[in-house]
Amino acid sequence: MLAGTIIYALINSAILAMIAMGFNLTFGISGVANFAYGAFYVLAAYGVWILIHMAGLPYAAAVVISIGLTTLAGALMYRLVLIRVKGQALSEVIATFGIGLVILELFRYLGFVGFEYTLPVLSDKSLIIAGTYVDMQRILIVVLTAALVSGLWLFTHHTSLGLAFRGIAQDERTALTFGMDPDRIATLAVSIGAALAAVAAVIIVPLGSISPEEGYDVLIKALAVCIIGGLGSTGGVILASFLIGFAERFTDSYIGSHWTMIVSLAALLAVLVLKPSGLFGKQKELEERI
Amino acid sequence: MNSAKQLVLYFLFALLCVFIFAPEIMAAEPIVIGVPTSTGFLEGKECLNAAQLAVEEINAKGGVAVGNQKRLFKIEAIDIRDAAPGVPVPEALLGIEKLILSKKPAALVIGPFRSEALLASMDLIAKYKIPLLGTIAMTPATEAKIKKNPQKYKYIFRPCLNAKYLVQYLAGTMGFIKKQYGFDKVYIMNQDVAWARKTAEIITKVYFEKAGWTVVGQESYPTGTTDFSSTLLKVRAKKVQVILPIFDMPQSGILVKQWNAMKIPSLMAGFISPLAGPGAWNTFDGKIAGAMNSIFEVGSAISSSKVAPSTAFEQAYAKRWGKPLEAGHGPAPSYESVHILAEAIERAGSLDADAIVAELEKTDRQGVMGRIKFDEGHQVVYGMNPEESAVAAVFQWTADGGRTIVFPTALAEGKIVLPEGLAPAK
Repeated sequence: MLAGTIIYALINSAILAMIAMGFNLTFGISGVANFAYGAFYVLAAYGVWILIHMAGLPYAAAVVISIGLTTLAGALMYRLVLIRVKGQALSEVIATFGIGLVILELFRYLGFVGFEYTLPVLSDKSLIIAGTYVDMQRILIVVLTAALVSGLWLFTHHTSLGLAFRGIAQDERTALTFGMDPDRIATLAVSIGAALAAVAAVIIVPLGSISPEEGYDVLIKALAVCIIGGLGSTGGVILASFLIGFAERFTDSYIGSHWTMIVSLAALLAVLVLKPSGLFGKQKELEERI
Repeated sequence: MNSAKQLVLYFLFALLCVFIFAPEIMAAEPIVIGVPTSTGFLEGKECLNAAQLAVEEINAKGGVAVGNQKRLFKIEAIDIRDAAPGVPVPEALLGIEKLILSKKPAALVIGPFRSEALLASMDLIAKYKIPLLGTIAMTPATEAKIKKNPQKYKYIFRPCLNAKYLVQYLAGTMGFIKKQYGFDKVYIMNQDVAWARKTAEIITKVYFEKAGWTVVGQESYPTGTTDFSSTLLKVRAKKVQVILPIFDMPQSGILVKQWNAMKIPSLMAGFISPLAGPGAWNTFDGKIAGAMNSIFEVGSAISSSKVAPSTAFEQAYAKRWGKPLEAGHGPAPSYESVHILAEAIERAGSLDADAIVAELEKTDRQGVMGRIKFDEGHQVVYGMNPEESAVAAVFQWTADGGRTIVFPTALAEGKIVLPEGLAPAK
């Protein structure tokens, strides 16, 4: 049972990392805490469902179009709304939260609530790992998460656009002197964050079903992981994902399933009290600077 | 003739016209049936459709006889959204009151989803003296209130299954499994909501502990849980023979998919709401073969050839609405509620609420769910024989996507098939 618990804890960690990556990228580059992140996740999932079941498109085409549309939604959100309140943190939070609420509650109002809203798995096979049956979809999540993390690292360290992202994140004024357009970079950051939310949705939602509530759950999980790991720190997000992922699964196995929800929230509280900038956070509280 | 006499004549003539023509004018007014429920949810939608089907059937035959007049039925629905998370009960009650005041229904059918909303609405119903035939909320607390104060709460009836009968059926299923295969180790997995926790608690106390079962464990899962692997690993490690799930959240289908993918050698038998209707096979990628599920009333999501009206209802619904029933709780009693109401009005000969209630109490008909009779708490009596009482059904998903009723024996169409790796204990 221990081996099985460890395996599913690894899978849970990968799921959390994949969910949080897009939120972390958006905040790290553009400084925008995108509270519509969960809504983009659900938007992409419903988008795939609608394109398959109502437009009759094949799965692959539906996925590509849905990710594309969600990316566009992210870009439009920045260009039409966030650019006007740039630098006003509270206004950015309220604006993105409001947009997220509209998207999620619109789906609920239109009746997209029920058991039938599911996405197909990529493979329905199971493998035996260390004596434990694991379904292929969960293995694919781990593989894809590793690929995305590696891909993001390569992007931000070995491409000119990625280096521009890091430049803007480090010092926007200096980056301006080098001819980098912060608004363009921020638009791209929010768009790529939305795209990552869409990719996460496409690969994770087949494990369950689509519902508007999922948007709020994803936002809370992304926030918890990013705050614990340190907003803007990819290494922190990965470490926090493992910490929470393992804590949840071991709590479920050895203490009780109804305590698992408390784990991430309790960890969040502890970090905010003991080290508010997070494990690898770059923002420093006054006490931490002294 | 002087003008005063003319005026009197005209007045008398007008009065005569009113007495002659008023009955015909009034007869054109349909009898309004109010439907206050969460119409945005599957059960609410299908219950409303089922009630509408019944209304159309009755109207096609000329309507309901009220005294010596025939009047048509008409449904007026309102979405009270009580099933949506975060919607406060007072908001649901406002919706019910709005329906009563604006549409002036002769009766209400279906009603709130949530038991706390139904309980809170009882005083409202009593205030306006309108019969309610509830077909979704299941708390037995309504019956207790009716028995304690029958004069005030007599307007409330429940044709659907209640929580006590649900426990009875789950216990009956477990007893049947034990008798067939000698199993005695069970793991209870339930949703972390009041009704599911209570069901788990009661079935453990009144059945498992007395019938020689070992409850190896019991876990409550928050709504929205998508990973049940930890418990399934425990089930395998402790060689549990039966898993009893008690869920109505959409994600609960994942439990069965994971049980299937992890090849857990335990029989999955209980209540998982998303697995009720025929569409579940495609929804869950065909990964639900072998799972046993409870349908709360025969006719809702599954029919039995041994209860002919249930098959007729299933076919009529699919023909009218273009798709099969998916909700395993509510549609059959909602359909029956309209017919029960029609018969009660005809026996009463009026739309007086007290007269209708008196006739509702005398209901005794063979319907979609079996024999329909109310007890003193205004709850339809459920049992194991459709000739004597209303019945629920427990079915098992087959490897080719079909559903075979396996319990109660009066309805059984086949035997329970054990999952791979699980052998009978006797």
